[in-house]
Amino acid sequence: MSVAITGVGLLLPGLTDPQGLLGPAVPGADPVDPAALIGKKGLRYKDRATQIGLCLASAALTDAGLLDAGGLTVPGERVGVVVSTNLGNADTVCRAVATIAKEGTAGLSPMDTPNASSNITASETAIRFDLRGPNLTVCNGVTSGLDAVRWAALTVRSGRADHMLVLGVEPDNEVTRALVGGPVVDGGAAVVLGRAAGSARAEVTLGPTVRAASLAACADELTRTAPGGAGWFTDDPALVPVGAEHFGLHGWGECSGALGVLQCAAAVGWAATGRTEPVYALLGGAGTASTGLVLTPRGPSS
Amino acid sequence: MSFPITGVGAVASIGNTPDEIFAGLCAGRSGLAPLRGFDREKFKAQQLFEIDDRSGEGDEPGRATRFLVEAVRQAAADAGLGEDLSGVPILVGTGLRELRSLELWWRDGIPFDAADLDFGPALRERFGALDTHTFANACSASLYALALGWDLLEQGEADTVIVAGCDAVTESMFGQADRVQFDPPPAVRPFDRERQGTILGEGAAAVVLRREAAPGRPVRGWLRSVAVNCDARHPTAPDREGITASVRQAHETAKAAPGDIDLVLLHGTGTPVNDLMEAEVTAEVFAGARPALTGIKSQTGHTSGSAGLMSLLVALSAITSGRIPPIAGLSDPLPEAAGLRLVRDTPLAEPVGVAQVNGFGFGGVNAVAIVAGAA
Repeated sequence: MSVAITGVGLLLPGLTDPQGLLGPAVPGADPVDPAALIGKKGLRYKDRATQIGLCLASAALTDAGLLDAGGLTVPGERVGVVVSTNLGNADTVCRAVATIAKEGTAGLSPMDTPNASSNITASETAIRFDLRGPNLTVCNGVTSGLDAVRWAALTVRSGRADHMLVLGVEPDNEVTRALVGGPVVDGGAAVVLGRAAGSARAEVTLGPTVRAASLAACADELTRTAPGGAGWFTDDPALVPVGAEHFGLHGWGECSGALGVLQCAAAVGWAATGRTEPVYALLGGAGTASTGLVLTPRGPSS
Repeated sequence: MSFPITGVGAVASIGNTPDEIFAGLCAGRSGLAPLRGFDREKFKAQQLFEIDDRSGEGDEPGRATRFLVEAVRQAAADAGLGEDLSGVPILVGTGLRELRSLELWWRDGIPFDAADLDFGPALRERFGALDTHTFANACSASLYALALGWDLLEQGEADTVIVAGCDAVTESMFGQADRVQFDPPPAVRPFDRERQGTILGEGAAAVVLRREAAPGRPVRGWLRSVAVNCDARHPTAPDREGITASVRQAHETAKAAPGDIDLVLLHGTGTPVNDLMEAEVTAEVFAGARPALTGIKSQTGHTSGSAGLMSLLVALSAITSGRIPPIAGLSDPLPEAAGLRLVRDTPLAEPVGVAQVNGFGFGGVNAVAIVAGAA
């Protein structure tokens, strides 16, 4: 069974159109403002990653035709959620331990209790949109975003769900900046996955996923199993063959767990420009395993 | 369809192997002890079910990883896989990842690399594992990971998968619980009228799951289904409809009627709300059937991400041995459990062919597994 991206959402400072990911970051843009996008209701006490995640979910579910003014258009138990985030609740955790050291537990806010659990964004997304299918939070380091897409696709293929919403989101704050040594994206992307067959909205089909010890090995494996790719989403320009296009998705800050989902959104942008050749998404780095994914536009005639 | 479990491994406060843990449960041993790694002056609650492995005073980083590596090592050895796991996917369910190391970095300046928030780098270093995945799915995490392991085998994407769960207690989670508990519970007493809440514990558990049993190797049990869903109702409280749906789905996939199930390993956290809900759902689903019911958290504590798989290993031991450990601390069952056959006081000697294992987590993430002995 072939799985496709049937909806997309993007939320970066100054950018919501996936085609924009093929160009440079927007300089000097204001931070993402969740309340302006989906209203203040229900955002109080939610952490930043969750607020952004809810906006992304709304955009992607709507784009996939699964959400309209009346709510979900399909049964909620057939729609699941996978969230990729490494840094999502790091600030809640670190603030709590600093507060305890200073004032004991009396200084903690009970409202932070749900946020101490790393799956808070996935569960709040399920609650807001009544998504009762499998609900998974992937915190898998640099490869997280593509891993989340892989698990969501597997869940569709195995029949556990008809539609899977994948969110990649990372918040920018004092803790996450210190942890990664610089600014964090403070935004992210979402895609909805479903069966390619019979979906009028399928924009990009997901090719094989590969995993290997290094980025170079992943790149070899991708071009061997799915030749003909014309675009590369990777941090490492040395892997890109002459004549192919390279998109680093740089300039947005550290994307961490959001990066793989941003790459998938960028593939939708690639397809929207009329390109029909496959693109390769690659994630990995020193000391960690690497992973790669082929994304193929459906093309105007299919 | 069912898949053989060919290797098991676990560590907990009451034992350093699955056999030790099971023996401890049957012997009534408890891992509850005064706080070892946290500053006792900062908390109302003074006890946890910690693993007593720290080398010095105070706390040290990397403990969740250490527990995980040991459980995976045991399971791989038990299955005859050795220590080169470069070709085997390892799926890890966890509630709290290496967030305790993050806390020590932020508060005390103990060096920490963001890459070590998940368990991939450590599993690669120790076992050469490349296809590693860390899922942060609260208290049902290891059973959620088991569902994905099932899917990998069923979809033909792997022949062998290692599924694990692990957690060390974080001060933030312990502290948030301490903040809202006026009277910290002196003990975990699942399904008792006097239950006052849960107490966190530490541990790791791992299984090797294969598409087909390896010739000449023992099979520890068979996995017949894992159902997963989400309540989509409340960030911390369980929901009747969601939990019921997950249990019924597990039965349906396993092609098991309620009357086919001999034993249920309950989630049984000892909180007023979980146990009430779980008792009511169990009574409804099993109306007319009378499986034995037990739970392990009064002796291991609530081991969070590893809890589901830890319960599953206990179910396998009960199937193998025909002994079911009792729910320690249960003396006066809640009224909603009146018709339920909760195992109490002493181990129950009774053959077990098919067992159900419950895992429910914050965020309404439910996972229910069905395991069986030799067909």
